[in-house]
Amino acid sequence: MKRRAFWGLAALLVLIAPLTPSASRASDHADPLNLTDPNANITGLFIFPKDDQYVLIFNMRKSLTNAKPYNLGAYEYVINIDLTTPVTFDSDEDRARYGGTIPIPDKLHPDVTIKVRLNDDTTLKSIDYTGLRNTDKIRTFSGVRDDPFIFPRFFRKKVISMVMSIPKNAFPDGQQDFILWGATYGNGKLSDRVGRSIRSQLPRFPLLNFYDPKDQVRELTKAKDFLDKVANFLDDKKEWWSQAIAGLLEFTFQFRKYDLAPDVMIFTTRFPPGYPNGRQLPDDVNAIQCRTGDCLLQELSFIEGGWPRATKNDKEFLPDFPYLAEPLPDSPERVRTDSIWPYVIPVIIVFAVLTWGLVEIIWRLIWWLWRTIKFKFRRKLAPA
Amino acid sequence: MRSRRGARAAVVAAHLLALIVVPARAHDFWIGPSSFKPAPGAIVAVHLWVGQNFVGDPVPRQSGAIEQFFVRASGIDTDIGGANHIDPAGLFRAGGDTTAAIGYRSSGSDIELPADKFEDYLRQYGLDAIVAERARRGEAAKPGRERFFRYAKALLTGARSDATATSPLGFAYEIVPHDDPPLPLAGPLRGFILYDGKPLAGVLVEALWRDDPSIKLAMRSDAQGAFTFTLPRPGVWLFKSVHMVRAGFFSSVDWDSHWASLTCEVPKP
Repeated sequence: MKRRAFWGLAALLVLIAPLTPSASRASDHADPLNLTDPNANITGLFIFPKDDQYVLIFNMRKSLTNAKPYNLGAYEYVINIDLTTPVTFDSDEDRARYGGTIPIPDKLHPDVTIKVRLNDDTTLKSIDYTGLRNTDKIRTFSGVRDDPFIFPRFFRKKVISMVMSIPKNAFPDGQQDFILWGATYGNGKLSDRVGRSIRSQLPRFPLLNFYDPKDQVRELTKAKDFLDKVANFLDDKKEWWSQAIAGLLEFTFQFRKYDLAPDVMIFTTRFPPGYPNGRQLPDDVNAIQCRTGDCLLQELSFIEGGWPRATKNDKEFLPDFPYLAEPLPDSPERVRTDSIWPYVIPVIIVFAVLTWGLVEIIWRLIWWLWRTIKFKFRRKLAPA
Repeated sequence: MRSRRGARAAVVAAHLLALIVVPARAHDFWIGPSSFKPAPGAIVAVHLWVGQNFVGDPVPRQSGAIEQFFVRASGIDTDIGGANHIDPAGLFRAGGDTTAAIGYRSSGSDIELPADKFEDYLRQYGLDAIVAERARRGEAAKPGRERFFRYAKALLTGARSDATATSPLGFAYEIVPHDDPPLPLAGPLRGFILYDGKPLAGVLVEALWRDDPSIKLAMRSDAQGAFTFTLPRPGVWLFKSVHMVRAGFFSSVDWDSHWASLTCEVPKP
């Protein structure tokens, strides 16, 4: 067990590797990771009722300020809705955190699929519906809008938005529970996923982007077991720094007892709408989520924002379709030109030279000792 | 009519038996899973409890105190993971297709009690033979120095029965049901007490009902190490037993105690 934990510690580096900038698939709205594929980056999924309709909003492309056109031809944006996998609402904790409980996540599957492609000017290129009725009554919008995320870094920023107003009668009669998740595909390859808001961007959750919701709990359980072993191994040691690393792991990468749930958005008509029961545009998701234990983005909103903390979007939402606020005028995005490598490479060279020098000194010392001992023995053993 | 009378008699008998049981010390240790009937693929939170009369406090995971913590299903053992200082002590994905057993074995912990308290506790747990042995050794007035080991089990109902329920997990001290308790039973619940894999006679076994721990049954195992309880109610039951032996010559304590428990949900017949 201890040996495994030790090797686990070594393997932790491998686990953290996906969090490095080279990870192309791990992304979400305020994801701290470098995005190599920004047009595939999902920034928000919303669902809420409006009169006899359900409004579905799917946003892409964080920190957008550039003018059109964008390079969107390679991307397909997909929203999946599971209408049949059971959801329960007995657990207050799960309702507060996830909107409900999915007792058997292995059964998650899409009953409804909406696939969207956009032209480079963000107009609708194609939209395909599977599993819905009366699709000719669905009202759609696509275009650039103000980013509705309540977070200082994304105020005065835009997103590429897809909005659908879907008649309630497009769904089976009496449908109460909806399980949603979204994904983007670049040239047919999975690029990003989204479920419950602001979840996959937390440092411990990048792996959610790699698996279908039906497989996520199994993978989360494996990853949790592994990290728990490493953290317990460190925590059980007497050295203060070992315990300190365990403490650091606990609030960064180690999974929590309430994390073993699939990354999906649950919406039900049994309760009033509003995050985490679906998500409405004015929902202050960071503040709501912080009440259940995940406060990283709430803290960042204090760090980066003013006082008092903003609790609503920087622009008023529209009362009617497509509901999202008009965007601010275009402005060129900041492009970073300085590289870290001119600093890293000299450090690596110095480290390599020092290591080589140390090895050389030790080697020469051993050689000198060996020769000295050998010489003395020969003299002793030599006939007088 | 006959069966109703029989059930009533069983309840009366259970209450009479309960009268002979003395109060327990806050030493009992048991497993309380979040569900005794998990659906396939569902996450089961495994809570550890310490207390008395089936009422206790949760025990957060402390990996240094755990020798074994696993779930056995279809003959395959899988470690139950969890983070230190956290309750539930473990979480795992249930297979759900067969009866499964959760097993927990602790490393030994030392405790020293004043002579009077130690003797009281020995009597409370039916360890009269140890009281007599202490007297024979002239240790009756000496503090009790003991190392205790915990062996807790819980059975989870699956879609079908499995030999896991009626097979020993391999603990030094263990309560093993004769039948798969989560399955609807027509008759009384029978089981065995095993010490080092062999039946142990004459040890006190108690059964407590979670919904009303005042409903408590007790008996001593027979010559074959067997016990039989006619459970008056369906629901979650805790079976427990303690066995104490003289510690080894080089041990820093005088006695090793072994605490076995089994929790399971007994359905309506």
